[in-house]
Amino acid sequence: MVTLTIDGQPVEVPEDFTVLRAAKTLGITIPTLCYNSHLKPYGGCRVCLVEVTPSGGRTGGGLVPACAYPVQEGLCIETDSERVLQARRFVVALLLASAPEAPEMQELAASVGVSAETFDKTDAVGQYLLRRAAKPPSTRCIKCGLCVRVCDEFVGMSATTFTQRGTDRKVTTPFGKISPTCIGCGACAYLCPTHAITIEPAE
Amino acid sequence: MSGSTTIMLCAGTSCTTNRCVAVREALEQELAQQGLQDSVEIVDTGCHGFCAHGPIMTVQPEGIFYQRLTASDVPRLVSEHLVKGQPVRDLMYTPPEGGPTIPKLSDIGFFGKQRLIALANRGLINPESIDEYIGRGGYDALATALTQLTPEDIVKEIKSSGLRGRGGAGFPTGLKWEFCKAAMGSPKYVICNADEGDPGAFMDRSIIESDPHAVLEGMAIGAHAIGASQGIVYLRDEYPLALQRVNIAIEQAREYGLIGENILGTGFSFDLTVNRGAGAFVCGEETSLINSLEGAMPEPRTRPPFPAQCGYNGKPTNINNVETWANIPHIIARGSAWFASIGTASSKGTKVFSIVGKLRNTGLIEVPMGTTLRDIVFDIGGGVMNGKAFKAIQTGGPSGGCLPAALLDTPVDYESLRKAGAIMGSGGLIVMDESTCMVEVARFFLSFTQGESCGKCPPCREGTRHMLNILTDITEGKGEPGDIELLEEMGAAIKETAVCGLGNTAPNPVLTTIRYFRDEYEAHINDRRCTACVCKALITYSITADMCTGCHACFKNCPTQAIVGQVKTPHEITQSKCVKCGMCKTICKFDAVRCE
Amino acid sequence: MKLRPEDIETVREKIRSVTALRDSDDRARITVHMGTCGVASGAQAVLDAFTAAIADSNLEGVSVMTSGCAGLCSSEPMATVELQGHPPVKYGNLDADKARRIVREHVTDGKPLDDCAIGIGSERGG
Repeated sequence: MVTLTIDGQPVEVPEDFTVLRAAKTLGITIPTLCYNSHLKPYGGCRVCLVEVTPSGGRTGGGLVPACAYPVQEGLCIETDSERVLQARRFVVALLLASAPEAPEMQELAASVGVSAETFDKTDAVGQYLLRRAAKPPSTRCIKCGLCVRVCDEFVGMSATTFTQRGTDRKVTTPFGKISPTCIGCGACAYLCPTHAITIEPAE
Repeated sequence: MSGSTTIMLCAGTSCTTNRCVAVREALEQELAQQGLQDSVEIVDTGCHGFCAHGPIMTVQPEGIFYQRLTASDVPRLVSEHLVKGQPVRDLMYTPPEGGPTIPKLSDIGFFGKQRLIALANRGLINPESIDEYIGRGGYDALATALTQLTPEDIVKEIKSSGLRGRGGAGFPTGLKWEFCKAAMGSPKYVICNADEGDPGAFMDRSIIESDPHAVLEGMAIGAHAIGASQGIVYLRDEYPLALQRVNIAIEQAREYGLIGENILGTGFSFDLTVNRGAGAFVCGEETSLINSLEGAMPEPRTRPPFPAQCGYNGKPTNINNVETWANIPHIIARGSAWFASIGTASSKGTKVFSIVGKLRNTGLIEVPMGTTLRDIVFDIGGGVMNGKAFKAIQTGGPSGGCLPAALLDTPVDYESLRKAGAIMGSGGLIVMDESTCMVEVARFFLSFTQGESCGKCPPCREGTRHMLNILTDITEGKGEPGDIELLEEMGAAIKETAVCGLGNTAPNPVLTTIRYFRDEYEAHINDRRCTACVCKALITYSITADMCTGCHACFKNCPTQAIVGQVKTPHEITQSKCVKCGMCKTICKFDAVRCE
Repeated sequence: MKLRPEDIETVREKIRSVTALRDSDDRARITVHMGTCGVASGAQAVLDAFTAAIADSNLEGVSVMTSGCAGLCSSEPMATVELQGHPPVKYGNLDADKARRIVREHVTDGKPLDDCAIGIGSERGG
C-alpha cells in the first residue's frame, strides 16, 4: 500500500493503482476519453492530465495522464488547478475542432467549459480553434484508439489497426477490406465515444 | 632547477598511434614519485607537424624537444633533465629550420580547435578492418573492463566522468546505467539509438561509417556493467553505408570472440543484432523505438515505467545514442578524471557537431563542451560564405531553436543553450545568413514535425497542424494581428500536454524565432513584407529601367517567359507570369533586378 | 580465432605496419577518405587515379588505403599523403588530375602541392 495526496486529501491505495483509480476512491472524478477499465491505459487523448506538484523533496513533474500514472509513496497530485483546467480545455478544444459535428464531443466540451460562447474572449487559442481553424474533412473519428485496443487486448482478434501517422492516421482493416478475423462482436462500435463505427446487417 | 617547468606533450592523433598516452601516464606517475607534480605542469598541445618523430615533448622554458619517446624513456628523462638539470641528448630532436608553406593543421581554424574523442580514429583507419581499430588501441578498454573492473567499478567510472547522453536529452549516462543495473528482470538489453532523424545531422552516421567498432566496444562494456546479454543497434534504413559497415564490424568482432559467447575467455557473453528503421523520425524517441522493435506501431508509451525497468519485451533496457557509446571505451581507457577535465562544470567531455548551412567550411567537428558558438561559426566554420551577414544559428534540429548574432558568445553546453531557449540536441548546427527568412525556417521545421508526428495525441497531431496552418498563412500574407501571441500560447500549451519529446519540443523553433526575430513576423503580418525576399507571396521582382542594359540574359533564362523587352532596351517583368524563382536576379550582371 | 586478452596486443603489433607508417617498409602512404560525403563527391575516381598512377609509374613501397570521413565535408574528395619521415599532408577538392599530380610531384619528387594542400600534421586527440 502507498499513501499519496490528491487535491490536498491523503489516500492509501494498493501499489498497482493508477492516480485515476486512487482519485475515484476519494470520490474525485477526472474526465477521461480513451480510458477503459478493461484495457491497458493508453495515455493518448490527454483529457485526464493532472498536475504533479512538489512534495517533501520531490520536485514538480508537470502534467501527467491520470489513467496511466502509477501511484507512488508521497506523490502529490492536483486535479483541478488552473494549470490542469487550462490544459484540459486546450485538449478538448483540439478534439472538438477535429470532430465538431459529433454530439458526444460537444457534450464533453460543454462538461469542461469549452464552447465558442463560454470560451474566454481573451483566450486566443480557444477562439482560434473554435472559430478560425480550418474545418477538417467530415469524420467523427477522433483517433482515440479504443476500437483498436479492445479488439487487440480484450477480444483478441486484432481486426483493426491504425495506419499512417500524424493527421493522416486512421483506423482501418487489412487492405481496407472486411477483416478476416472480425467476429462481428460489436465491441468497437460499443466503445467508440463518437459513434464513428456503426453496425450494419450484412446482405 | 629554478622556476616552474612546463612540459608540452603533443596530443595529435599521429602521436596517439605512437603511444603518447602511455608516455603521459608514465610521466604523471614519475613526477608524482619524484615529488615534482606541483612544480612541473603537463600541457597537451595540438600537432606541430613533427608526426614522423612523435611522441614529441617540449620542455619549457628551455624549449628543448624530445622525440620518439616511449614510456620506458620517462624515468631517465625525469631524473636526468628535470631533477639533475641535464637534458638527455640521445632523446633530443632538432626541428628543421624554415617552415613549409603549407599551414599546420593545428593552425587552421577548422582543425585547430577540435579535440577528437568519439572521432579519435578519424581518417586513420579502414572502418572495415577490425585489426586497424585494434592497431590504434581498440578493445583494450573492453579487456580492462572484463578482467580488471567489476560492473560496479564501471558504473562508478561513467558516473564520475560526467558523461551525459549525446542524443539530445543530456541525461547523466552513469545514472541511467545504474537504474538499469538495479532493475529486476532478465535478459537485460542495451540498445544503440542510431535513428538519427534531425535534418542536417549526420554525426551518428559518420561515427558508424568511419569507426563502427568504437560503438560496439562501448556497448559491450555497458552490457557488462548493466548485466545485459543482448544488444541491438537500431539503425535508420536511410544509412546504407553505415548498415553495411556495422554488419561487417559485428561479424569481425564475433570472429575474434570480442562479441558472442565467453568474450576473451572471461565467461561474459554478449551478442548484437542490427535492426533497420523504417522511416519514422519518432523512433528516435526511446519508447517509440522499443515499440518499433517489438513490431508494434511506432508511438510513445506512457512513462513510468521507464525503459530501465520495463523496456524491450518488458525487460530492463538501457538505450544510449551512438556518440554516447563511442565515448565509453575512451573513458574506461583514460579514466573518468581525464574526461571530466575537459568541458565545463556541468557538461563534460566533447560534443560532435555537424556544421552545415551557409558556412565556408561545412562538415563534422568535435569540440570541447564550452566552446562558443562564435568560435564554431567563424573560426571552425570559416565564417559565412559569399561574404553575407550572419543571421542565426539553429541548434537541436526540429526540437531546437534559432539563436541570433547577439548570442554568438553562448558556450556550447546543455544549460547555456537551454537558457537561451534552444537545446543542444543531437548536434546538428545550421548556420543561416541574411537571405534566410526566419518565419519560413519556423514553418519548415514545423512542417517536418507535423509530417513525422505519430498521431497518438491531439496536442501534437492537431496542435502542430494548427500552428503550421497559422504559419503558412503568415508566409502567404494572410497573417492576422494577434497571430504571434496565438502561436506563443498554442506553442506553450502543446509543450505542456503532448505525450513525448517530439510534441513537447515541436513548438521550439517557432517560439525561439518569435523571441529573437519578432520583427520579421511583424513585417510579414502587418506590412505583408518578407525582408529576406523568400516568401513568394510577399515579394515582387522588378527591373530597374535605368540600370538595365538590355543584355537579354534574363529574357533567355526566364522559365515562364515572363520577361519582355528588345535587346539593348530596358526589360520588364510581367508579374502575372512571374513565379518568383529569382533566376533573373541571380543572372543579372548589372544588379538591375530588385526584389522586395 | 577467438582472442584472449593478451592476444589483443599481438594483433596490434602485427598491424602496426599499417597503422603507423614508420613501422612499415613503405616509403609513402596515401589514404583516400571515403565516407558518404567523399563517395558522393567522387572519391572513387580519385582512388582509382591514385592506384593507376602508382602502377603506371611502377612505384614501389607506396600503399593506398581508405578510411572514413575526414571531417571537412565541403572539401571532399580528400586524401592524406604521408611520406616516410615527414608529417602527413591533407589534400582537398581532389579529382583524378590532382591525384596524378600528387603521385608525380609529392610522392615521387617529395614536393607537396601548395595549391590543393589544406594542411600538414595530425588532428588533436582528447
